Amino acid sequence: MQRSPLWLRYAVIAWVFTLVGVPLIFLFDKAGAPGWSAIWSALHNSATDHAIGLTFRVALVAVPLNTIVGIGAALWIVRHPSRLSQLVDRIIDVPLAISPIIIGLMLELAYAHTGWLGRPLAALGIKIIFSFPGIVMACLFVSLPMVSRQLIPLLREIGNNQELTASSLGAGPIRIFMTITLRSIMWATAYGVSLTLARVLGEYGAVLIVSGNITGVTQTLTLDIGNNFDNYNAYQGFVGASVLATTSVVILLILGLARHRERKRHEHLARAPR
Amino acid sequence: MSISLEHLVKSYGNDTVIRDFSDVVPDGSLTALLGPSGSGKSTLLKMIAGLESLDGGRIVLHGRDVTNVPARHRNIGFCFQDYAPFYQLSVFENVAYGLRVRKMPKDQIAREVEEMLRLVRLDAFADRFPRQLSGGQRQRMALARALAIKPDVLLLDEPFAALDAQVGAELRLWVRSLQRELGITTILVTHNQSEAMEVADRVVIMNNGQIEQVGVPAEVYDRPSSDFVHSFLGPTTYLEGRPLRPHDVELVSVTDGQSGIITDVIRLGFEVRVVVTLADGSSVWAQLTHDDAQYRNPSIGESVGVRRRVVR
Repeated sequence: MQRSPLWLRYAVIAWVFTLVGVPLIFLFDKAGAPGWSAIWSALHNSATDHAIGLTFRVALVAVPLNTIVGIGAALWIVRHPSRLSQLVDRIIDVPLAISPIIIGLMLELAYAHTGWLGRPLAALGIKIIFSFPGIVMACLFVSLPMVSRQLIPLLREIGNNQELTASSLGAGPIRIFMTITLRSIMWATAYGVSLTLARVLGEYGAVLIVSGNITGVTQTLTLDIGNNFDNYNAYQGFVGASVLATTSVVILLILGLARHRERKRHEHLARAPR
Repeated sequence: MSISLEHLVKSYGNDTVIRDFSDVVPDGSLTALLGPSGSGKSTLLKMIAGLESLDGGRIVLHGRDVTNVPARHRNIGFCFQDYAPFYQLSVFENVAYGLRVRKMPKDQIAREVEEMLRLVRLDAFADRFPRQLSGGQRQRMALARALAIKPDVLLLDEPFAALDAQVGAELRLWVRSLQRELGITTILVTHNQSEAMEVADRVVIMNNGQIEQVGVPAEVYDRPSSDFVHSFLGPTTYLEGRPLRPHDVELVSVTDGQSGIITDVIRLGFEVRVVVTLADGSSVWAQLTHDDAQYRNPSIGESVGVRRRVVR
């Protein structure tokens, strides 16, 4: 590979630094300046505390669900192509193209207690909008393609000869999935899961609509941050934002590792004698 | 174990790839399914293994109808053209895979795998991973993996196509002797006629999802049943509209055969090709051995006669 010219490298670094680095530094500076005890008490603000807990509870449900759905959808689209699966392949990216706030409005229209699906559910005593299930649904919607988009091209590239060989050796579908398929898609899945997690933790617009933004009840961390800024409680917001930013940096590191492993795998493939 | 294929049919949408295919593969034979790409031979092989569904017909393994038996219960060893190594598993674990599925005790697995690896001469590579093997080693690993389950039938899809010529040639002979040693009924798919001739004791020539001809290699080569088989099995030239092998074209004096003029002489080491353009404008080529060419010394522009060699 040709080395990029020096000016281009500096330009890119300056651009990223101005856009991402500087704001991030100022955020941590603002949150950290008053000292550890201030951070500590801010973290123990009851609203923020609850918001952090809720956010991670939502992630705990939404991320595994979306991972399972993503793996299933990718396998279905690649391994059992049909008109229906091709249609799903095409519309699975829709959440990326629609603004989250519109996604929130759509969910509310369908699942509010007056909505088409919400009414029968309300009759059964199940509340979706303004409660935990609605927040999870909004997060699932916005992160829908995150896992399957990673897996679809990979599964196509690997092909299914290994799986067919395993079945000729006597293995059933579950064993084949656990011993062959899952092992080959592990790192790409990890990458997709990190993207899902990042998206779920950071979601604002869709969750704002469906949760009702009730402090101490349905307020997630992003909503709490927004709330604090609206109420001239900027410091509380900075601390909350720092928690999210730190989590994101950790996710980024995991993501980097997953990509690194994927790249190594590809290099191996390229070098493999044919 | 004999394999009986009865009126097999397979189509993808409107595209019929296997049309009423019937054949009986004798017990212990090595049969080559030979045909150009797109003739349906790989699809047929997958159908036998149960890796591809049927749209019609029956598959009977030694008297047992397996048409509706899933692949994993057929006990058939299958090797893909790309060998489909389990990249995440070591060579040992690749070979052990089918034995672990069969819940064989650990120490017995260790013994059997070691024996298989010795058989395919990979005993020193048990702890390696597929990516650390050469193409030929991967192919032998795939063979060991398929043979480890003691299959009733061995199916090989283009086993030598992905190897370079020299490695492929060595492995052909080795696979041939291994098959004889084990006596396992084997079907091998190939598009390479010399590979089929060299390895198989029975050749099934396929075209458009149907059988063109079945026979032992020498028979199909010497007595091809159609123009297709003739031209597919070896170099073919036409004299009086009929196909013949270029080594059956004899150069004689103008009066003894059809008269023509030599328009090209191509020397390829041992083989010399002489192109003769006949009076009617058609051309035929004769294959001479180096010695023949030395003796006759054909030259461009020379008037000659050509005729079909008389078999004495």
